[in-house]
Amino acid sequence: MKDNVTHKNKKCEVWAVGSGKGGTGKSFITSSIGIHLASKGKKIVLVDADFGAANLHTFVGVGKPQNSLTDFFEKKTPLKDLVVNCGVSDLGLVAGSMRSFEAENIKSQQKVKFFKHINQIETDIILIDLGAGSHFNTMDTFLLADKMIVVVAPELTAIENLYQFIKSAFFRKLRLVLDAHGLKTTFQETWKDREARGIKSLKDLIEYLICVSPQVRDIISREMSDFNLHIVVNQMRNGQDVFIGSSVKSICMKFLGFNARYSGSVEYDESVTRCINRKQPFMVTYPSSPVARAIGKLSENLLEGKEIIIGKNGSAY
Amino acid sequence: MEAHTEEYNKYFKVLELSPKAAISEIRSSYQRLKTLYSGDSIAITAVSDDFSEEQRQNILSQIEEAYTKLSDLFKNSERIVDGKPKNYKSVILDDSLRKYVADIASFTGSELRKIREKLGIELHDIAGFTRIRRQYFEDIELERFSGFSSEVYLKGYILAYAHYLSLDPAKVANDYIARYKAWKDSDNGSNNGKLQSAFRNQEDNNR
Ligand SMILES: Nc1ncnc2c1ncn2[C@@H]1O[C@H](COP(=O)(O)OP(=O)(O)O)[C@@H](O)[C@H]1O
Ligand SMILES: [Mg+2]
Repeated sequence: MKDNVTHKNKKCEVWAVGSGKGGTGKSFITSSIGIHLASKGKKIVLVDADFGAANLHTFVGVGKPQNSLTDFFEKKTPLKDLVVNCGVSDLGLVAGSMRSFEAENIKSQQKVKFFKHINQIETDIILIDLGAGSHFNTMDTFLLADKMIVVVAPELTAIENLYQFIKSAFFRKLRLVLDAHGLKTTFQETWKDREARGIKSLKDLIEYLICVSPQVRDIISREMSDFNLHIVVNQMRNGQDVFIGSSVKSICMKFLGFNARYSGSVEYDESVTRCINRKQPFMVTYPSSPVARAIGKLSENLLEGKEIIIGKNGSAY
Repeated sequence: MEAHTEEYNKYFKVLELSPKAAISEIRSSYQRLKTLYSGDSIAITAVSDDFSEEQRQNILSQIEEAYTKLSDLFKNSERIVDGKPKNYKSVILDDSLRKYVADIASFTGSELRKIREKLGIELHDIAGFTRIRRQYFEDIELERFSGFSSEVYLKGYILAYAHYLSLDPAKVANDYIARYKAWKDSDNGSNNGKLQSAFRNQEDNNR
């Protein structure tokens, strides 16, 4: 029972929030889900793993903490010692680093250690705010999560980048999984000779690989059906935007062949920016606004594995 | 649905529904997916480089097949599904009509009548299905507000009407009730209207 996180001594659940494009509202959504669930009695730790643009602390209304993930990677400070309290009870934060701590500098051993340490933090849910884009460190963190959440805004470029992100994540997963089954060379050689084999897309690659052997086919089909995405649409500006989430979900399933849920949709509200500028957590300042209620619904859906249903008139419930 | 085979589960999956879905959900999912894959939503444009026209057509025909098979299943089923008797004829708004409906700023009686006529539905179809007197639907279309003894009743009728035509019941009722209220607040509501209503009752009795 993955969803039962209240059980003592149980490994906590890790939720990672990614997106193809920056500015879709990943940090806002991550922090707001955290604040909501903390207010509902869950113990939450936010981890700012956006190495390029770490700013999650601002969303929860705290100044830049002294210590950050840099201390973990450079000084070997245990991750659990880096959790600082936010103004909200039951909400902790591991701050990111704004220094030029490029994701590429993290060695693979450090990454393994990072994942191990994450699971040792004593809490119910760990929410990881990832960097935008498809760097393999970001991908690996995303793939490690029990829940893979993606945030998209209703605009073409954000959607394009989202598909790119999803495809990169699965590509990475395919590679890691085949590696783990001792099929590294199968993957590498196929990829190396992709041109000769007419492989132009992830779909072509998958189609090619499943014909290699029944074993590979079984691995891939299992991984595809295990690949569960939770889609969040943020910054909706009109009644039609809510359909973007169903459309993206449909395309993830029909075109890309993955499982997807439409977990929630959040409207655009100018006071979000105003709160960020004043370093006020939006969820605390406007707890009964439509945006806060949408975040509440989204959080519950994520917790319970449910999704939103859209009425014919476009209302989400 | 007890006799669900693998095949039907497949069709539910194509329409992105659980096998427990009601006919109304099947209908709206079908409409949504058909619009999505035949249109140029940004969600589609964003993958257009990756996928051929052929794949798109393929998906569209799967959706079509799933819908046909599932609506047949419901038609032939003895069960009363979604509160509707089995002879319920589902109403599908085609793309041009959907567009037409989407452009309507406010649903008036005459707009409703136009939509119904475009769909080729007779008032007695709605009456037979909803078990609401045909007269009320005619009153709705002609905006003979005096025919309604109260807003509550009118609302019930207009919701049933909109639902039957696969329109958005809440929006239709909202627009329409606003017109009713405006009428009520004017003079008609008090004197003239009552008179008309009395006349009609007379007519009814004479029939
Ligand atoms: N629901 C929303 N309504 C209005 N503005 C929003 C909303 N979500 C995000 N924003 C704005 O978008 C900006 C980027 O959000 P942020 O969470 O920092 O994105 P990301 O972490 O994906 O780069 C925020 O500073 C805020 O001004
Ligand atoms: Mg961010």
